[in-house]
Amino acid sequence: MSTSQSPTPKSEIRNPKSEIPPGPLHGIRVIECGGMVSAAYGAKLMADLGADVIKVEEPGGDEARRRGPFPGHVPHPEKSGLFLYLNTNKLGVTLNLQTARGQDLLRRLLQDADLLIHNYLPPQMLAHGLDYATFRALNPRLIMTSISPFGQTGPHRDYNAHDLTMWSAGGIVYLGGVSGRPDLPPLKAFGQQAGFQAGVNAAVGSLGALFGRFSSGKGQHVDISAQEGLVAIMENNYISWPYDGSISSRLGFRLIPQDVLPCRDGYIYFLAVEDHQWKGAVEVMGNPEWADADIFQDFPSRSGNWDALKPLLEDWMQDKSVQEVYHAAQAKRVPFAPVSTIGDLLASKHLNARGFFATITHPEAGTFQYPGAPYRFSATPWAIRRPAPGLGQHNSEVYERLGISQTELDELKKQRVV
Amino acid sequence: MLKDLPLSGVRIADFTWVWAGPFATLQLAHLGAEVIRIETQHRICVTRRIPPFADGQGGLNRSGYYNQYNQGKQSVALNLKLPEALDIAKKLVAASDVVSENFAAGVMSKMGLGYEVLKQIKPDIIMISMSGYGAVGPESPYVSYGPAQAPLSGLSSLTGFPGFPPMHVGFSYGDPNGGLHGAFAVLAALMHRVRTGEGQYIDLSQLETSIAVIGEGVMAHAMNGESLPRIGNRDPLMAPHGLFRCQGEDRWVSIVVANEDEWLRFCQGIGQPALAKDPQFATAAQRKANEDALDTLITEWTTTLTAEEATRRLQAVGVAAFPTVTNKELAEDAHLQSREFFVEHLHPEVGTRRHAGVPWVFSDTPCQVRRPAPCLGQDTEDVLRRVLGYTDEDIAAFTARGVLS
Repeated sequence: MSTSQSPTPKSEIRNPKSEIPPGPLHGIRVIECGGMVSAAYGAKLMADLGADVIKVEEPGGDEARRRGPFPGHVPHPEKSGLFLYLNTNKLGVTLNLQTARGQDLLRRLLQDADLLIHNYLPPQMLAHGLDYATFRALNPRLIMTSISPFGQTGPHRDYNAHDLTMWSAGGIVYLGGVSGRPDLPPLKAFGQQAGFQAGVNAAVGSLGALFGRFSSGKGQHVDISAQEGLVAIMENNYISWPYDGSISSRLGFRLIPQDVLPCRDGYIYFLAVEDHQWKGAVEVMGNPEWADADIFQDFPSRSGNWDALKPLLEDWMQDKSVQEVYHAAQAKRVPFAPVSTIGDLLASKHLNARGFFATITHPEAGTFQYPGAPYRFSATPWAIRRPAPGLGQHNSEVYERLGISQTELDELKKQRVV
Repeated sequence: MLKDLPLSGVRIADFTWVWAGPFATLQLAHLGAEVIRIETQHRICVTRRIPPFADGQGGLNRSGYYNQYNQGKQSVALNLKLPEALDIAKKLVAASDVVSENFAAGVMSKMGLGYEVLKQIKPDIIMISMSGYGAVGPESPYVSYGPAQAPLSGLSSLTGFPGFPPMHVGFSYGDPNGGLHGAFAVLAALMHRVRTGEGQYIDLSQLETSIAVIGEGVMAHAMNGESLPRIGNRDPLMAPHGLFRCQGEDRWVSIVVANEDEWLRFCQGIGQPALAKDPQFATAAQRKANEDALDTLITEWTTTLTAEEATRRLQAVGVAAFPTVTNKELAEDAHLQSREFFVEHLHPEVGTRRHAGVPWVFSDTPCQVRRPAPCLGQDTEDVLRRVLGYTDEDIAAFTARGVLS
């Protein structure tokens, strides 16, 4: 492994009085621009582990500010749940990157940055001043991570995309939906999953490049294709074609016996992969005679005869509670899971014992529980140091560091640069 | 040989199995780390045992599932029930930078390989556990597979068509999502270690990483005390937003119009510029209010076309559209091929197959898959000699006692 070498001059500790130990990415300076989910989530992952992230928004504000959800369903740019969640621990500035002055300011911000992460579409990059060759000449140690739907090269480079079309282009939407209902279209997963996946991929690629810089001393350009990131996570579905020539579809073959089944007060997820798990499930159900049938004796036959098995399982579960079935199954090491509502999660004894939810107060939006640390670091914990920034909240603080006076800043505001 | 990759010189003693853990270490292998998977013939990794098998013929080294997600790694066979094997494993940890595992909570400790033990062997070791529920908490001993994470995390309760039950998402999403977050966490810990010399233990919960990607769904409940309704492929604000049937069997095109500018271009793209002036669709709010009528109108257009043609016409005017492609179409996709995304190394048992490769392109230190997935135990002798300094006599003796199985 390479020897220790400071990546940049050490940045100041922003909360000197705070008792929160620094995160593992302490001192790493990140500039984020673009909008919505992918770049913001990649930068959030880093900010929550201690990186100094400055989020650059167009003067009109990130599109995520208009998405909601909003308290009381009343739209307000400082109260969007998506924005508040994605931008914890960041400083926020506004900058009009479609002006020469704005692009100049961005270059000045990048002079002592370690990483620029953005998700402008490739055909929009130059119009927003995003040119790695120029940045590299100014700061050879800068890493620039460009997230785009289809990558920086290839015939689909300039295609427009939003989350649903990416989930489709990655091959994943074709896997989801109601089996046995060819009249219905395939089904997307809730939310902005393509954006989140591109964001984690970008975070992995960015840290890889940052770590590599300890030995190379040089920055580089990292091209993240959201489509490739999705093809890479299709389980055994992508690889089926090259291996056995089968096409994976929601309407196709059921590999393992699994389904969402109704209980008295909600739904349980039935899953029994190994034979001992099936035996455990049969015991939980009180060893019904039908379970001895030949057609249920191994997991391929239980998969193949699912249409016969499912009503028998449903018949047993219909008057039980979800929690009763869940805990009884798990006591026998059977991997059933409740189909949780968000309310169930917020009330979960397990998640609360782990301290998963973070209570965060935002001056305008108020105090809410947010999804918290997805991992616990023993030495350098994940931590909330500040809520998401208001639009342009840190303009004075950040631009002052660049040597811009308040008078100049007022002038830039008049020119609609910030 | 490995000098020019970002993680060159980083060694990972990889006790992971099934999918989430191996997916985490796949990312690190892509970045140049030396990933040594510890496997055994006595409890064979699930992904070696399930389809797809090359040409439909079973065999422990023939599954595409295993061979896709273990590219670039080495495989060492160790029967960890034997004390000698445990000693070898500990020596490997002493020679490694990172230990990874995704057993149910407590399993590593029971085997004598918990963090407290490993830290004595290698004080600056980074260890990551990636269990379903996390290492602590009342449900931490519970058994969890990746497919259970979509239901357990709340994702399923938000996914589905109106009037239908909660839906699964079509694949085991919790695994790769947990694995990617795990790779990120290990990289962050490596960043800390290279600057301070300090290792640490990371407790990752697949459940919590699954909740992390539905943040706005959690916020909706936290803010308003109610769950968001299941709305199929629609969006709360945008319309058109859906999958529309095209010519051919089970062929669909996805279309999203995000703003008024895209709406004008959409109307041009479908050859109905006058539609842009239709008051029932004049604003996003009106398109949402009249979405059934709008979807009918779009379907009248898409059903006359192939999904590819509809995509071409809409992308030509800058509107987001793409066919709901299958695995076959991806494998044959000219765009992905032009980016050299696919990897076709010669594997001793399955020949050359078109695997998905590295989803990032680095300008200066190009990440790549350096070898195909290993056959079970393929690298046992090499690792024992090269990394741990055992002699041929040692290896013969271990083999005779079943240690390397």
